[in-house]
Amino acid sequence: MDETVAEFIKRTILKIPMNELTTILKAWDFLSENQLQTVNFRQRKESVVQHLIHLCEEKRASLNDAALLDIIYTQFHQHQKVWDVFQMSKGPGEDVDLFDMKQFKNSFKKILQRALKNVTVSFRETEENAVWIRIAWGTQYTKPNQYKPTYVVYYSQTPYAFKSSSTLRRNTPLLGQALTIASKHHQIVKMDLRSRYLDSLKAIVFKQYNQTFETHNSTTPLQERSLGLDINMDSRITHENIVEKQRVQRITQETFGDYPQPQLEFAQYKLETKFKSDLNGSILAEREEPLRCLIKFSSPHLLEALKSLAPAGIADAPLSPLLTCIPNKRKNYFKIRDK
Amino acid sequence: MEQANPLRPEGESKGGVLAHLERLETQMSRSCKQSEEPQSVQTQERVLGTKIQKLRHLRDDLRAAVQHRRGSVKACIANVEPNRTVEVNEQEALEEKLENVKAVLQAYHFTGLSGKLTSQGVCVCINTAFEGNLLDSYFVDLVIQKPLRIHHHSVPVFIPLEEIAAKYLQTNIQHFLFSLCEYLNAYSGRKYQADRLQSDFAALLTGPLQRNPLCNLLSFTYKLDPGGQSFPFCARLLYKDLTATLPTDVTVTCQGGEALSTSWEEQRASHETLFFTKPLHQVFASFARREKLDMSLVS
Repeated sequence: MDETVAEFIKRTILKIPMNELTTILKAWDFLSENQLQTVNFRQRKESVVQHLIHLCEEKRASLNDAALLDIIYTQFHQHQKVWDVFQMSKGPGEDVDLFDMKQFKNSFKKILQRALKNVTVSFRETEENAVWIRIAWGTQYTKPNQYKPTYVVYYSQTPYAFKSSSTLRRNTPLLGQALTIASKHHQIVKMDLRSRYLDSLKAIVFKQYNQTFETHNSTTPLQERSLGLDINMDSRITHENIVEKQRVQRITQETFGDYPQPQLEFAQYKLETKFKSDLNGSILAEREEPLRCLIKFSSPHLLEALKSLAPAGIADAPLSPLLTCIPNKRKNYFKIRDK
Repeated sequence: MEQANPLRPEGESKGGVLAHLERLETQMSRSCKQSEEPQSVQTQERVLGTKIQKLRHLRDDLRAAVQHRRGSVKACIANVEPNRTVEVNEQEALEEKLENVKAVLQAYHFTGLSGKLTSQGVCVCINTAFEGNLLDSYFVDLVIQKPLRIHHHSVPVFIPLEEIAAKYLQTNIQHFLFSLCEYLNAYSGRKYQADRLQSDFAALLTGPLQRNPLCNLLSFTYKLDPGGQSFPFCARLLYKDLTATLPTDVTVTCQGGEALSTSWEEQRASHETLFFTKPLHQVFASFARREKLDMSLVS
């Protein structure tokens, strides 16, 4: 086994937390049950890693096997990467998509290998009809850097792909081209949507964040909902503004629904608008050029935070449509100009 | 009591902690005096105890009376008093109507397309079926605004919902729904055939079934006599029409023999025709039947 491969596997395994180690190794399916049983996982991590490397050497692990382990690690730790969303489109009147996974993989690999001699491409299919692609980039003269790969998650027979953002931006056009041609599309465009949470991005892009539907079988939605008022409270105590509270509750429910919101970390608004002022003669109002400013909302869970603004009394209901349109418009980067 | 508290000046601590202790002491002596009248406490207890027992008796009596009344009411109803039965009949009639309506609403599922009005629009339910088997259901929640838009849905991501909506949703909602129904039913049908092939006829397949999300490209190798001497066939089925459950292109080749005997060639051609005309699992069912027939002839 090549030294670089051994080092790569070693560094990958070292990243894996001990409580996930057996699960990930089983998913990798490279070392057999018997081999895994010979390892004492209660030792110190370094010893476990040494033993595992030894077993990998016995089985002659290749670069491809190591890359696969890296993919699995990333699948388990998706949140460590920031994901961008790309949308492809076909030309008008093109044929029906007869997606052939083998053809796609071959085509994708060939395009990259023809452009850059040194590139490692690996694939792993998942059950949700998605294929994870890992690309380690090299150049015509240097070997691929296995420690800075790019990941692409492509949902076959849809126009959408998710790509981990990386610092090596110069390869993005080539990657886009390879993906477009291999999947028999015409064009690829980056959407204004970005997050660490791949499932949330998927839910927003495919409009599947709400999976409850009203049917005649389902129980009628509660029209009288408790406003979280303490039931044990003395009946002599009432809320003065109960009507307003109910109105806010209703509007929030109509806008955000009852389902858990997809998870985003920020929303960014770039304003290029002229300054509007009631006072005549204010300096800023006389400017011909638009003002430029950037507003960024950050939160561990932005949409839930927005949902709780009106009920908490911090903002008026209904909220600005600029905030509430995020899942619907599938964007969290906005450019606002004067009409 | 002479200890100086290092954290507080002496005077303050005496006032604080010691005074508190004094108060506790007086409280204790007071409650001791109170407990020197144990008899009154005990008599109180006895009085309350008897009261509880009385109330319990009363409760049991009332319960018995209620039961008795209920029994007599039932007996009265059984005695066919005209007023009472009219009431009961009306009640039963209403309940029957309700059950009927519920059943009709459920039955709408079998039409394939049903819906329910929501606060903002309508939630459409598409129930797919193939060959009389009820398959998956998909929902599309529409919001009635200008423009009409899809709020959320459970349609699989590889069905071209966006395209169909772009074409028809604003101009002709009926066409939109029927077109979507077509696509979903066809997809369900193709998926059903591929699933049945994989589950029921795995013995005849010599390799894994290759399929894509839309189930419109299927590729597999099969043998008519598993474990036998014959060459396996390779089949590749393309369904270019996404609203159809039968393939538009079929290629069957025979592995391992360029020069095929005429009987093999005939078989190959007949298989191709079969795949064109019959659903996949039915074709394989006929293969399996033929095999049984051959076996029974041989033995």
